[in-house]
Amino acid sequence: MTYIGIIITFVFINNIILNQFLGLCPFIGVSRNVESAVGMGFAVTFVMSLASLTTWMIHNVVLIPLGIEFLQTITFILVIAGLVQLVEMVIQKISPPLYKALGIYLPLITTNCAVLGIALIAVRNEYGAIESFVAGFAAGVGFLLAILLMSTLREKLDTEWVPKYLRGTPIAFITGGLMALAFMAFDVALLRNLIG
Amino acid sequence: MSDPQKNGPKNLFEIGGRLAIICTVAAIVLALVNAVTAPIIVRNRERELAEALSRIAEHRRVGEAIPIDDHRAVRAIFPVFENDELYGYVVRVIGVGYGGDMAVLVGARLDGYVFAATLMENLETPGLGKKAEAPGYMDKFVGTGADRPVPTRKDQLDASDADAVSGATMTFVGVARAIETASDFVRKME
Amino acid sequence: MSTMTTLTRGVYRENPIFVIMLGLCPALAVSTQVVNALGMGAGVIFVLVCSNAFVSLLKDFIPEKVRIPAYIVIIASFVTVVDLSMQAFAPALSRNLGVFVQLIVVNCVILGRAEAFAAKNTVGSSVLDGIGMGLGFTLALVVIALIREVLGNGTITVFPVGGFDGTFVIPGLSEQPVRIMSLAAGALLVMGYLKGLLNVIEDVRARARSAATRSATRDGGRA
Repeated sequence: MTYIGIIITFVFINNIILNQFLGLCPFIGVSRNVESAVGMGFAVTFVMSLASLTTWMIHNVVLIPLGIEFLQTITFILVIAGLVQLVEMVIQKISPPLYKALGIYLPLITTNCAVLGIALIAVRNEYGAIESFVAGFAAGVGFLLAILLMSTLREKLDTEWVPKYLRGTPIAFITGGLMALAFMAFDVALLRNLIG
Repeated sequence: MSDPQKNGPKNLFEIGGRLAIICTVAAIVLALVNAVTAPIIVRNRERELAEALSRIAEHRRVGEAIPIDDHRAVRAIFPVFENDELYGYVVRVIGVGYGGDMAVLVGARLDGYVFAATLMENLETPGLGKKAEAPGYMDKFVGTGADRPVPTRKDQLDASDADAVSGATMTFVGVARAIETASDFVRKME
Repeated sequence: MSTMTTLTRGVYRENPIFVIMLGLCPALAVSTQVVNALGMGAGVIFVLVCSNAFVSLLKDFIPEKVRIPAYIVIIASFVTVVDLSMQAFAPALSRNLGVFVQLIVVNCVILGRAEAFAAKNTVGSSVLDGIGMGLGFTLALVVIALIREVLGNGTITVFPVGGFDGTFVIPGLSEQPVRIMSLAAGALLVMGYLKGLLNVIEDVRARARSAATRSATRDGGRA
């Protein structure tokens, strides 16, 4: 699959949240206002791109040659945890304003299943190094898109009348469901028309 | 959180050492589990592949897999022989469905004529994409690929077949495109 | 805390999915069929019980500073055990659950229980806590799967036994199912309405409780 195909697939067709159900916790938890949603979205995109590339290398350079693929889960999650720490330290050093914006979201990303999820999906789909990186980046953009839309809707919902028992998280789930419905319009036909 | 004062080592080496011990024990335990399960998993996979291949090739003989590295969707081909003569290939091809990628095995004659196909693994939604696993689903593709094109749109199917894929267009398109790719691949090999 | 509360707390009052809302990703993703929900639940119970037991057992050995990586290593090991055994002994289930078996490792319920409960309690009560939370998780998963499978496909799929292929077909619904329930959108909708229903139940119970307290005070005053 070409890179554009991978991008369209992971941003729209197999949107990591609305189709694959990965990263639902932050999707519901950090989407109360647009600012934090965008911060989380950028932090996730950043970590996801790096993580899928790094885990691809670990898998193909270390695990497969040594024949220890059974340590995949353990190494991937540790690599992601380490990577998040590293990213946090580097950002803190080189760009304090960026650290101020993203810092509080970074520790949350370690247990964000979307990051591990996309790394595992890239390995399962037998992607190459650059394809993995592109898939991670596109999945991150898909996450950003979904959480941004969600937070915009939720800010609007705050001023609207919502049945008492559905206030808060229930209406957030229902909104997410309707968004997922809308995203079903993106399908393989779209991909074919765009890139043949 | 317990009080860090009372909690044991402050020496970095001891902290690292203890973590290393936990990791080592974990790795050893997993190596043991893997030693038990790996042969069974390999046997499961081989049996599954062998069953699928013999379903497709029927009475014909299937040769050793030839891995394909430089194609966007085709992953491997298996030569199929009838009376020691090359009859065609079984192509392992990856298609895009609703729940992500899915592997399809397609049997194609040298001229691209599709003689059988089967879905290997997929993450499709039960009731939707799983329809593609139902017996008879692949019949509508059999006989296409050489003089007739592989149907990749619903309007190319007759009424009963179109009905069988209704509500599962994405899966249908994914499977159809995979089969089309496989057929093209075999035809262009010569 | 009594043994019984340690066990039952996770099932209803602190149900990981409905009340604390942790571990949602696998819950929604694999809830298309009841059998998947049961398989996932069994995997989570195993990992939760084992990791709780070992975290509790090793709580004096694990240095405070690196406790999170240590917990992750312990959890990831048990997840790998589940993943490998499932591939070996239940290949069909393993195929259905796909990548979500490995994703148990980032299921926040498990790390959450290790940190919040097992690290401070005895091995025995940590195991009970693991069983309770795991059962609560499984129960929630099965409820969601039941609603989605019945409405979305008109079937209930459990384990095949003997000649029975494991699928109950509901006449009527299976010919004209509400397909949307099988899809991603359906999962989110079901979750939203279930949570709303739970709010209603909670409210009714709270009202009944306060009414009972009121009448008890009144009776007490009279006596």
